Amino acid sequence: MNAMNDVSSKVDRRADDVVLAVRNVKKHYPIREGVFQSVVGHVKAVDGVSFDIRRGETVGLVGESGCGKSTLGRCVSGLSDPTGGGVYFGLSKAEVARLDTLLADGSAAAQAELAQMERRHRIDRLEGAAQRHFRRNCQMVFQDSFASLNPRQLVIDIVGRPLRVYREASGDALTERVVSLLEQVGLGRHHLYRFPHQFSGGQRQRISIARALALDPDLIVLDEPTSALDVSVQAQILNLLYELQRDRGLAYLFVTHDLSVVHHMADRLVTMYLGRVAESGDTNTVFETPQHPYTRALIAAKPDLNDDEGRTMQALEGRVPDPARPPQGCRFHTRCAVATPMCGWEVDDVVRWLESSKGVFDALEGVDRTNAFDAALRFSSEAAARNLASTLRSDAIPAAMQQALEDVTVSGGAVRVRFREVPEVELTERGPGHHAACLINPSHSSSGAN
Amino acid sequence: MVDLPSPSRAAAPVVRDSAFRVRMRRVRDLTAQILSNPATVIGSVIILAMFAMAIFAPWLTAPNTPDPYQMPRDWAATRMPPGTPGYLLGTTNEGGDVLYGVIWGARMSLQLSLVVVGSVLVIGCIIGSLAGFIGGKLDEILMRIVDVFLSIPELIFALAIAAVLGPSFGNIMFALAMVMWVKYARIMRARVIQIKNSEYIDAARIIGDSKLNIYLRDILPNSFTPVMVQATLDMGNVVLIAATLSFIGLGEAGIAEWGVLVSEGQAGIASGRWWASTFPGLMIFLWGLAFNLVGDGLRDALDPRTESSR
Ligand SMILES: Nc1ncnc2c1ncn2[C@@H]1O[C@H](COP(=O)(O)OP(=O)(O)O)[C@@H](O)[C@H]1O
Ligand code: SF4
Ligand SMILES: [Mg+2]
Repeated sequence: MNAMNDVSSKVDRRADDVVLAVRNVKKHYPIREGVFQSVVGHVKAVDGVSFDIRRGETVGLVGESGCGKSTLGRCVSGLSDPTGGGVYFGLSKAEVARLDTLLADGSAAAQAELAQMERRHRIDRLEGAAQRHFRRNCQMVFQDSFASLNPRQLVIDIVGRPLRVYREASGDALTERVVSLLEQVGLGRHHLYRFPHQFSGGQRQRISIARALALDPDLIVLDEPTSALDVSVQAQILNLLYELQRDRGLAYLFVTHDLSVVHHMADRLVTMYLGRVAESGDTNTVFETPQHPYTRALIAAKPDLNDDEGRTMQALEGRVPDPARPPQGCRFHTRCAVATPMCGWEVDDVVRWLESSKGVFDALEGVDRTNAFDAALRFSSEAAARNLASTLRSDAIPAAMQQALEDVTVSGGAVRVRFREVPEVELTERGPGHHAACLINPSHSSSGAN
Repeated sequence: MVDLPSPSRAAAPVVRDSAFRVRMRRVRDLTAQILSNPATVIGSVIILAMFAMAIFAPWLTAPNTPDPYQMPRDWAATRMPPGTPGYLLGTTNEGGDVLYGVIWGARMSLQLSLVVVGSVLVIGCIIGSLAGFIGGKLDEILMRIVDVFLSIPELIFALAIAAVLGPSFGNIMFALAMVMWVKYARIMRARVIQIKNSEYIDAARIIGDSKLNIYLRDILPNSFTPVMVQATLDMGNVVLIAATLSFIGLGEAGIAEWGVLVSEGQAGIASGRWWASTFPGLMIFLWGLAFNLVGDGLRDALDPRTESSR
């Protein structure tokens, strides 16, 4: 079927081939304000994410809503172009290793070789046949089965459309191909001439899946494909996806906010928090020995996933902070139950705390920042300033935050607060193929994690 | 609907459906839905009667020569009241047959509304689509032009154009088209942008379909209803506005156009000759009413919120 393209012959591909490599992908949406629509900041929806998807495997991309999963999914499928980094398609394992070497190497020779590689494999640089080859081989299924099907098209036109676009079939041959696709997803010939609104949510999702299968792709990005469905229907769709993968050697990027959905489906998990990877590794390893408090909290949020060992895990409190101003250090520190003084406490944490205590916040007139860690908070009265200063020294605020404070000085109506400056927390290796971005590392010290 | 796998191939019913049959059924259902509203039925009946009158005008009354759109003049029978033999609806000051004016006025109104609404529909859809679908700089330029047009009140603008070009039926049509296309461009642009951001456009892009195909298959078919509803309403409105322009003196004197007839007949009302103005006025009213009834019915029937549930 792919004879048209030399890069594509599937026969000589090895099982551990990388279908797709995501390298340091960023997607920053500009925030515009005012009459002249000038850019006043960026929503850092995805902020430096790397991982691989190998042939035939399922990668579960998990995180609360608003963490940037869909944005990343759209970058992976080529629906939107990243504002930084790149998504590479069709590299062998050795080529991916070479890519990583080149990306780390700043020399002119390396850059030249990289540019050449990007022309053939980086999805936003592809052209012509290579572009078509990628488009055929990476499909997507969306959460909202109603919104993702054209309400004025019949099933035969919806499912047959990819075949028409690539001139694979027409007329009766097309009809038969569509029937066969419908049968593979549990629908049939009698559904050909119906409109999307004549189906249930689960059936519509089957139609979407049939459309995604039509070109026999290597990879399907599934963005919350079952989140809008009833629990019983969810299970049917998950089974269908599982069987299709087994029969066809498909790779999935399975995006979901619900860990239990990918528990049995995913070979590997990537948990994402505020545009960054919190933890990644084999599903079993991650479930058995979660390394990041965020992953632990996600597991804790699904009682059916952690009923066995009687583990007591802290569930998530509060909300995801604004991705336009992600927290310093570890982005999770504002909600982390085991945060340390090194986790990135900053001026914004004081402001956030003030916001929740109304009386003092009303007296706040302004914040003069030197940087994220150092600022003077101006109050309308000296009493309010003193009040804040003494609170910052009391146990009304988290102990870790208090310990991170290097200086609290009251001068007139202003309080100068200075926190310890820390760098951003990087991913570190916790085991073979298992990474987490947390300062607490049980294999190095016994403190911290429960 | 239950989400069950389909019966096996052997058990599957013989397929008698085809795309054509299904679409015809949909048109039928939609028609039935539209006609279930009594107001829409009344409007449709009036429209059909008006259209019949317009189309069969030459057979209903002998066309005036040389120009059938000019009112006939019978100086022997001026100011006849309705019911006079040969002059069912009476005659004007100049001996024009009011019934002739009513019938040929329908023909003029039909021409006027088809030409004006047809052209603004086409122009508005093209400009609105370009602005909405291509976006960027082109959108900005086109919308600035639209803003300029919109900043002038409709009637005053039409009046100014017609006044500059001189009183004639053709100039009124031109003035109306100049005024109205912006409304269509705006409606179309808004709808195209809305559809462009819907997920089935992403689904089509993921397949790798071309921009042109996405426009023709996804965007255009889903963007049509708002402008069609507007066009139906405007089929009535243009006749009202044209009549207004004629009434205030921009019409072509002596033609069989309802607004001109009302204008020319009004002087007689004070002396009890009500018919020369009243019958054409009634026609204008009925024409406007009928298209508004049908337009509102269409809007309700095509409302996407209710449409999806059928
Ligand atoms: N087109 C956009 N413009 C601006 N901000 C966006 C856009 N799309 C998403 N975002 C923002 O990016 C963040 C991540 O969104 P999303 O990727 O949809 O998260 P998730 O799928 O994990 O719920 C959110 O804060 C969202 O508001
Ligand atoms: S680095 Fe670890 S301990 Fe510190 S805030 Fe982040 S997740 Fe919590
Ligand atoms: Mg999402």
